Amino acid sequence: MRALVIDDSRAMRRIVTGILEGLGYEVQQAGDGREGLDVLDTGWIPDLVCVDWNMPVMDGLQFVSAVRSNPAWRSVTIMMVTSESEHTQIVRALAAGAHEYVIKPFTADAIRDKLALLGLLPEEAVL
Amino acid sequence: MTEFDTRFEDTGERRRTSDAPLSIHDLLDGETVQSIAQEAWSALVGDDEFLVPLPGGLPDDALSSWVEIVGPWTGTVVLTCGRSTAEALSRALLKEHAPPVLEVEDIEDALGELANVVGGNVKAVLPGPSVLGLPEVGSAPTAGSPADTCRVDLLWRGESLTISVQGAAGALTDPHENNQNEVPL
Repeated sequence: MRALVIDDSRAMRRIVTGILEGLGYEVQQAGDGREGLDVLDTGWIPDLVCVDWNMPVMDGLQFVSAVRSNPAWRSVTIMMVTSESEHTQIVRALAAGAHEYVIKPFTADAIRDKLALLGLLPEEAVL
Repeated sequence: MTEFDTRFEDTGERRRTSDAPLSIHDLLDGETVQSIAQEAWSALVGDDEFLVPLPGGLPDDALSSWVEIVGPWTGTVVLTCGRSTAEALSRALLKEHAPPVLEVEDIEDALGELANVVGGNVKAVLPGPSVLGLPEVGSAPTAGSPADTCRVDLLWRGESLTISVQGAAGALTDPHENNQNEVPL
């Protein structure tokens, strides 16, 4: 399975990438929403996108809206991973088309649990 | 209603611009800031990493990271520690994903992300709606009024660090002092 991790913090990209690779994902990274769209434009379509909210150039909410407006990317599951923890923000993200929402700080188990709920745990991680 | 909904339920309370400005001391206390920081440390730095509420001196080469919050209360959440502490924090945060040699950008990025996580969760306990800025790193921004600053002094692995939730300079002035645009009756 493939995942795209989008965060302007390279520390957070490394952490999330490490968790996903540990579960068996093949991962690519991007530093903002625009770079994330550039990855999708290459035709490398991930099963999962983990995207931060607050980023320069293009934020996570704009990225979610852009992905949802393109039918070719309809199959992509989007999980927001962000320190924006207000209820109204979560509602906005889900309304824009995100499937799940993980609030920073998070643990590896929290990511794993969300992926299990989404049915996106690779077989090797389930065993 | 879930536990999350209850924690962050919109109370419906709204403020007018003519209302007296909010002081951070009306909104949160040092215990809350420490609790938020401890949650971030436990999840990101390590399960057994504890912040001890004891004052200690910051070294001359202290480095700060901060995020701005703009809303009914406006100010910054500032994390400050020595450079060696910042490097140790970066290694702890990245764990096995840390590169063999940490560059300055890696350290500043990790410290900025910690301020971002603490700031985002501080924002959640303040009245909204508020906007969270992007993290910045450097010398600490100018401190605001002590009446609008909540600072906690902590020790992590015996090294000092401070977290300061400080109002924007002048945010506590009377909103009617600068009312040139008001039309006299």
